[in-house]
Amino acid sequence: MPRPPLTVSLALAALALVLAAATLPAVGQTPKYGGVLATSPISAPPSLSPHEEATIAVVASASVCFNNLVYFDPQKKQESAATVVPELAERWSWQDGSRTLVFFLRKGVKWHDGKPFTSQDVKYTFDMVRGAPDAKGKLRVNPRKLWYENVEAIEAPDPYTVAFRLKRPQPALLLMLASGYSPVYPAHVPPAEFRTRCVGTGPFKLKDHRPGEYVEFVKNPDYFVKGRPYMDGVKVVFIKDRSTQIAALQAGQLDVAGSGWNKANAETAMKGAAGLVVIEADGGTNDNVLVNFKRPPFTDVRVRRALNLALDRAAYVKGPRQGGASLGGAMLPPPAGVWGLSPADLAKLPGTGDPTRQKTEAKRLLAEAGFGPAKPLKVAVSTRAVAIYVDTASWMVDQLQQVGIDATLEQIETGVWHPKMTRRDYQIALNVTGVGVDDPDANLVENFKCGSPRNYSDYCSEEIDRMIAEQSQMTDRAARLKLVNDIDRRLQLDGARPILGWGKQYYAMWPHVKNYVPHENSIYNNSRMQDIWLDKR
Amino acid sequence: MRAYIVKRLIVAVATLLGMSILVFALMRLAPGNITDIIFESAGYVDEEDKKRLEEELGIDRPIAAQYGRWLADLVRGELGKSYRFDRPAWEIIQPRLPVTVELAVLALVFSVVLGVPTGVISAIRQDRPLDYVLRVLSLAGLSMPSFWLGMIIILVLVRSLGWIPSVTYVSPFDDLWANLAQFLLPALAVGYRSSALIMRFTRSAMLEVLREDYIRTAWAKGQREGPVVWRHALKNASLPVVTLIGIEFAFLIGGLIVTETVFNLPGVARYLVDAILWRDYPIVQNLTMLIAVVVVLANLAVDLLYAWLDPRIKYETA
Repeated sequence: MPRPPLTVSLALAALALVLAAATLPAVGQTPKYGGVLATSPISAPPSLSPHEEATIAVVASASVCFNNLVYFDPQKKQESAATVVPELAERWSWQDGSRTLVFFLRKGVKWHDGKPFTSQDVKYTFDMVRGAPDAKGKLRVNPRKLWYENVEAIEAPDPYTVAFRLKRPQPALLLMLASGYSPVYPAHVPPAEFRTRCVGTGPFKLKDHRPGEYVEFVKNPDYFVKGRPYMDGVKVVFIKDRSTQIAALQAGQLDVAGSGWNKANAETAMKGAAGLVVIEADGGTNDNVLVNFKRPPFTDVRVRRALNLALDRAAYVKGPRQGGASLGGAMLPPPAGVWGLSPADLAKLPGTGDPTRQKTEAKRLLAEAGFGPAKPLKVAVSTRAVAIYVDTASWMVDQLQQVGIDATLEQIETGVWHPKMTRRDYQIALNVTGVGVDDPDANLVENFKCGSPRNYSDYCSEEIDRMIAEQSQMTDRAARLKLVNDIDRRLQLDGARPILGWGKQYYAMWPHVKNYVPHENSIYNNSRMQDIWLDKR
Repeated sequence: MRAYIVKRLIVAVATLLGMSILVFALMRLAPGNITDIIFESAGYVDEEDKKRLEEELGIDRPIAAQYGRWLADLVRGELGKSYRFDRPAWEIIQPRLPVTVELAVLALVFSVVLGVPTGVISAIRQDRPLDYVLRVLSLAGLSMPSFWLGMIIILVLVRSLGWIPSVTYVSPFDDLWANLAQFLLPALAVGYRSSALIMRFTRSAMLEVLREDYIRTAWAKGQREGPVVWRHALKNASLPVVTLIGIEFAFLIGGLIVTETVFNLPGVARYLVDAILWRDYPIVQNLTMLIAVVVVLANLAVDLLYAWLDPRIKYETA
């Protein structure tokens, strides 16, 4: 076996060392108070309103200002029902056969403008998000309305109790409420104001916001968690150019960076700064192929299956993802994911076996459907004109050409991407999907349910919809996992929205940053920063 | 002179009007509008919500009505509201102006201070080693895009010193030295290319002037090199150079877009690109008009400078 070059070996050894160091908890160290954490998200957020956006840039920039009713424990790497912890709710209780979720709220909590927090704020927020006819506020755009479609009514019988009455049992609602996308807004501040400022109850208060430049927060002295936060403030700096972002981290102007970084970015950062810590985490973002189920020839199951077989998943991990990805189905696979297929299951899915054999089978299916060298299938692979999309889409074009498909790349400007997908004005497309909550009720419902706004493929199976609804009501975790795995297998075999794999995230930080724990199965739910401290003095 | 200025101002207004039609039309011809981008950012499209938002922002009205309203607002000095940030456009543009102005002025100063003297030296030392060195340096300046040079500067600094200029804006009123440290390098990156061009123009204009009879006469009368070169030759050689500086100023603003991105300076040039990507019409239209006004005025100033540099030039309106 050829030996890797010395530089590569050294780099790998160094990476292993820093990974080991990074995963060491700050055990035995007494947290220190003070300091301001400087960080930089993937891009400048379009606004500071998590309820109106669907990008990590907003959650990463604004979460320190807010609180949820409940939140995923920031110190636990894997999010699940077992890691949901109280925030504005002191405790909660399922009642009426899991049809009503009652929250008992903390008393004495104040908004950053001094007004008291009550159950009316919770009702106001979630009536607005679920689009209730009598909601007192309206969002400009409402990306997560679907999460709350099972909520029949929200009642606030007294200032410190709020009840979510459901149409049917849905244990996973608690997880959706624990997402970084589910903060509670104050009823006395118009929702439009959150685009440029924030009034929350969170550990840090807004000090200054220069759209596109930075957002600065200072410690909230009235924070309801005693002794938190440790830091005096957080400064979120928006740096558009990735090389400049890396240089700013290396030069010590940033304490943490890495949101949206790939493996190459992390390696570049480490080469120029001894001591920098890099953490690799799964993060719950997948590359998937949108197949237009309403446009021939993709109405033909043989063509869809050929397409799925032609895309060699191992080559995807090595190629466009440079080793920084793992194979999976619709749900993030274990050990990072809670609901994904096992390695044994994944090995049986199209695209994961012997590539030569799979490609031969793909050619046979295409021939059966009437396509071959004399009459090649012409396909445009659409994707957003963004580097990470284009890299993978170009790889797809090459893979499809290997089975005789006359594939070409169509780059679509970001501004018209979703309108084009919504109009189904594409044949096949390479898409990237970040999963807000690692739960089938969020992921499967959003992307695979008939008629869902984000089901861009128009895949629709009454049987799958029935199974999705059934798993949603189950309280037995093992039985639910079995059913979810069954759904996932069917989705992959149907080529509903073939998953190429789940990309890994790379976080880079200086060792003086303590208690920063990237989550393994979602990038959206650990930005509160109340437990982070700086070992600088 | 006065009649000439009035005529030029009328032409300037016509130019700006044409510019306003062009920028307005181009923005509408680009695929998608702000509502597409907002929903793109939210990851879904709801046609009903989209229509409501288009009504709210006024982009559902006929194009001519939109243009008329914008122009009327512009004449009244009202810049409208940023669609993206839901804030008055001026509130978004105003803090970014000093950044771009400082960078542009410093870059222009760099390009003139570097370009003119080296051009003169190169001309008076024609075909000597110093001339060759300066010509190679100017060729390098012309060959290197400013963003590439900027990135190289950052990489060299971080690798060798473990330091880069601040990635958040430091006002000169808060910390002058930190501000200069932040701006000098990007100004150098932008100004170097312009200085190379100015150097080459100065050199060729100087070579031509230095061969004129009156210069030969000056030498023959025993005048020293300083007054001959800097007072007599350079003044007469400076007309094409001043013209070039005027033109370069317009190009320089284009060069700032990438340099502001590389050095993470929150100026209007970088922001203009963001606004175009977001189809934030009020910001794009008003910023483009602002830049157009600056360019038109800069060119007018250059034309007026001619008379000062060469008193033989007369402005006539015929």
